[in-house]
Amino acid sequence: MPLIFQYEYMQRALFVGLLLSVIVACLGTVMVHKRLSLIGDALSHSSLAGVALGLLLGFNPIVGAMAVCIVSALSIEAIRKKLGNHSELAVAIVMSTGIGLAGVLSGFVRSSADFNSFLFGSIVAISGFEARLVMILSVIVLLAFVLLYKELFYISFDEQAAAISGVPVGFVNAVFTILTAVTVSIAARTVGALIISSLLVVPVAAAMGIAKSYKTTVLWAIFVSTVSTVGGLTLSFYFGLKPGGTIVLLSVVFFLLFRVIGYLREKHSVKKGA
Amino acid sequence: MKFSLRRLFSGVLAVSLIGGAAGLLCSCRRGFGADAEGKVKVVATIFPVYDFAKRIGGDHVSVKMLIPAGTEPHEWEPSTNDMLMLEEADLFVYSGAGMEPWAEDVLGSVQNKDLVALEASKGIALLKTEEVHDMEDDHEDDHEDEHDEDGHEHHHGMYDPHVWLSPKHAEAEMEAIAEALIAIDEENADYYRKNLEEAKKSCEELDSAFREGLKPYEGGYIVVAHEAYGYLCREYGLKQIGIEGVSADQEPDAARMREIIDKVGEYGIKCIFFEELVDPKVAQTIADEAGCRTMALSPLDGLSKDDIDAGRDYFSVMQDNLKALVSSFE
Repeated sequence: MPLIFQYEYMQRALFVGLLLSVIVACLGTVMVHKRLSLIGDALSHSSLAGVALGLLLGFNPIVGAMAVCIVSALSIEAIRKKLGNHSELAVAIVMSTGIGLAGVLSGFVRSSADFNSFLFGSIVAISGFEARLVMILSVIVLLAFVLLYKELFYISFDEQAAAISGVPVGFVNAVFTILTAVTVSIAARTVGALIISSLLVVPVAAAMGIAKSYKTTVLWAIFVSTVSTVGGLTLSFYFGLKPGGTIVLLSVVFFLLFRVIGYLREKHSVKKGA
Repeated sequence: MKFSLRRLFSGVLAVSLIGGAAGLLCSCRRGFGADAEGKVKVVATIFPVYDFAKRIGGDHVSVKMLIPAGTEPHEWEPSTNDMLMLEEADLFVYSGAGMEPWAEDVLGSVQNKDLVALEASKGIALLKTEEVHDMEDDHEDDHEDEHDEDGHEHHHGMYDPHVWLSPKHAEAEMEAIAEALIAIDEENADYYRKNLEEAKKSCEELDSAFREGLKPYEGGYIVVAHEAYGYLCREYGLKQIGIEGVSADQEPDAARMREIIDKVGEYGIKCIFFEELVDPKVAQTIADEAGCRTMALSPLDGLSKDDIDAGRDYFSVMQDNLKALVSSFE
């Protein structure tokens, strides 16, 4: 058995990392097509406000993080519809609110120990409880994604046309907004905000470089995020690199690689056509 | 749906506004109150120097701690209100050696010309950070006692700043504070000297308690959250293995964790120490994997509000540390 599998914390890191990279790639595809690629950053900042709120008002900070994340995500969805062409502003506004709120509220938290223990997440230090939580979450997200796949496809292609042809756009959007919020609030605590907000976007951006359809975009995004996660963890284990940063940089390498491949392929086919 | 979304959002907005207003009200209350009249006004950065200044200054000083209780000092920066407090103060005590990298900037922008600034660790034989790191890996003796004799500027991160974790160095810091107080307030010089003498006695008692308590375990290893215990280890012949380096704010990598887990097995280490102000998650993961327990060990750079309210001081926390260290070897 290779050394990397002999340690329980690495087994857990690989397992949870794989599960999360699959569901985050699915959610990321939805979010990127909705032009909400920075939603991960916005939500992970909002989740800090939720942690502070939970500590201050005396309820479970993880529940607080989830609640505030859901409210933030739904706010983004609501503002986005109002702003039309400037839908990316919705993310910026909610992110600012989240950061501001977290900053002010954290001033009232008595001990930074409590606060830190709910903010900090590292993929090499995952508790058994967190692993179980991620497992349940993954099942729910995958089920939703498979069951609503056709609707998602229509909506990402043309939201208005989808609504006219009878797709329950509001419902589907709400489901995925809430699932993204819950995923970010759990994953930020489990593997860290950096990994989660990057893997929502970069693998999808990479996949869009070579994929020709919605389906292949999803599959390539899953490929990029899982390979980056496993590769990043392996490099971290054998060469002592920081796991979060390594995973994110690997996915960026895929992005560049896929863009070059896409470009070459396009050039090739243009030549063949001429 | 749309309506309730809007309501939720305005709810978030309202909470943030109320929170902001309350924050402003709160911050206005900081600063020296009326009871500081006629006393030497001291601003100390972190808990150890705050505690030392209170001990030496007693009734003749009013001491404020700049970094609020329960905050990890590595991640703190001064606010405008803190600057106002410094404008009022007579003495600014910071531990130095890179613990408060912002101290010099802050001092540069304070207008208060009468403010005396004291770097309490000045003159202590500092450990370089790479020496601290070397200490874990067996070849510890060759350059341990090197120190910067010419007292040139300390660069952030060059030295291990946690000097107070050796009672001898704590004594030196108290002496420096006493000198500064005597220079500012000569009238009460005898009072300060008397307090210093008492404090020195306590330091010596603490030192011999550590020396005796840890003697049977000389050369033993301790696994700690971050490598803050270089001075303590140098003094009492222990070796520290830090999950993180001298600064506390790094994420561990997978290789470092494997290395520690292997060493725990190799040296038969029975306990992983965590810090109360840092998340114990990594320590817990390592302990689970290696099959040992976790215990708290305080580097004293920040004490929780509850501990301060309960009247905990340098000596009582150090006694607890000693107990924890001894029981980790048993």
